[in-house]
Amino acid sequence: MSIRLDNVWVRLGDTDVLRNLTLQVEARTVAVVGENGSGKSTFARLLGGLVTRTAGELAVLGLDPGSRSGELRRRIAVVFSNPDAQIVMPTVAEDVAFSLRADRLSTSELQERVAVALARFGLTALANRPSHDLSGGQKQLLALCGAFVRRPELVIADEPTAYLDARNARRVADHLLEDAGHRLVLVTHDLVLAQRCDVAILFAEGRVTAVGEPAAIVSEYEAMLR
Amino acid sequence: MMTLYRPGTGWLHRMATGPKIILLLLVVLSVSLLPAAWWAALVAAGVSTLAYAVAGLADGMRELVRQIVAVRWIIVIMLAGQLLFLGPEQAISNTSRVVAAVVIAALLVITTQVSALLDAVERGLRPLEWCRVDSQRAALLLTVTLSTIPVLARLAGEVRDAQRARGARASLRFFVVPFLVVALKHADDLGDALAARGVR
Ligand SMILES: Nc1ncnc2c1ncn2[C@@H]1O[C@H](COP(=O)(O)OP(=O)(O)O)[C@@H](O)[C@H]1O
Ligand SMILES: [Mg+2]
Repeated sequence: MSIRLDNVWVRLGDTDVLRNLTLQVEARTVAVVGENGSGKSTFARLLGGLVTRTAGELAVLGLDPGSRSGELRRRIAVVFSNPDAQIVMPTVAEDVAFSLRADRLSTSELQERVAVALARFGLTALANRPSHDLSGGQKQLLALCGAFVRRPELVIADEPTAYLDARNARRVADHLLEDAGHRLVLVTHDLVLAQRCDVAILFAEGRVTAVGEPAAIVSEYEAMLR
Repeated sequence: MMTLYRPGTGWLHRMATGPKIILLLLVVLSVSLLPAAWWAALVAAGVSTLAYAVAGLADGMRELVRQIVAVRWIIVIMLAGQLLFLGPEQAISNTSRVVAAVVIAALLVITTQVSALLDAVERGLRPLEWCRVDSQRAALLLTVTLSTIPVLARLAGEVRDAQRARGARASLRFFVVPFLVVALKHADDLGDALAARGVR
């Protein structure tokens, strides 16, 4: 079971941001849609172990992020919208290598892993460039590269295409959706993109209001907006 | 703006980071301790040129010029201030010593990748662990600070542009608050990203 929630509540400050979520999803790619403020990011952060639940039961990849956060961190990667805030190291290759720091690999293995990942995201020619000089699209590809170099079993992406133009959004989405042995939870406002996933979840006011076939969920969402 | 690593294979590039830091520190120290005299200015200039010439860089002299250009405002301000109050000999020798120290120190960053610096700092601080210094965290803090400078500079530019676009006059008071807001937002996002990338 990839994601299971039982009566999960998340309270931040003095608002209940997620209210009584009960949900079971077993699909390779899951889209999360809903209006601004409906709790999508909080849901993504909850799955990624970046916020903790206030009540309820939760399992991601069969593990509880509350008590098994260390192991989950190693198996999950999270990608955010803002490309700038995901860059840590001054050059492209070093930034990718940063993701593997905790693994204490040998230098040759580290370089090999980084080179393979750079090639996959078309960043080989930029390896020694200052990361902050990249374009927005290149930065987001770098963020993906830094996520995928860890060979995650689950990738959680919170509006990863929000800051990108159509072409770059397409490239980022293709990489995320490509079946490279990982599962994907994709928070997105792009309803066409949502329909490329296997399952969609609709959020409204901190609750899950529908789960199912993406085309149906998207129509339901559009009906709700009218 | 910032000094950056330049890939290379010279001996200084290949030297282990710890000894390299000590070596450059010694040179920087001896340059800084030169007296305020004409001959000291010559020595400072000579040592810097020699350092860049023998460091095994692809084009040492061009790099040296680049570094000096990067600190041109420091040179102008120091020279102007000291010429007024201290006279030419002190002004020129003081400025040469400082510039020499800065450009020689820059050799460290030019020939060392930040990840190697990070490892060296981490190792160097490890003996301090008995007094509760977390060497891993300290090294990471240093790196993140370094790599955040260009982002903050850009955010500052965006805040200024947004204010100009709305017809505001340049004023520090109206700059500080919005800048703090975007900087803190950035810090918050960065914290999430670090946590997501396995930093506890
Ligand atoms: N740290 C926080 N403290 C208090 N309220 C928060 C916090 N983070 C988010 N919220 C609130 O929770 C609600 C859901 O936010 P979020 O999960 O970011 O929604 P979405 O990603 O769907 O736009 C919003 O009303 C937001 O204001
Ligand atoms: Mg959000």
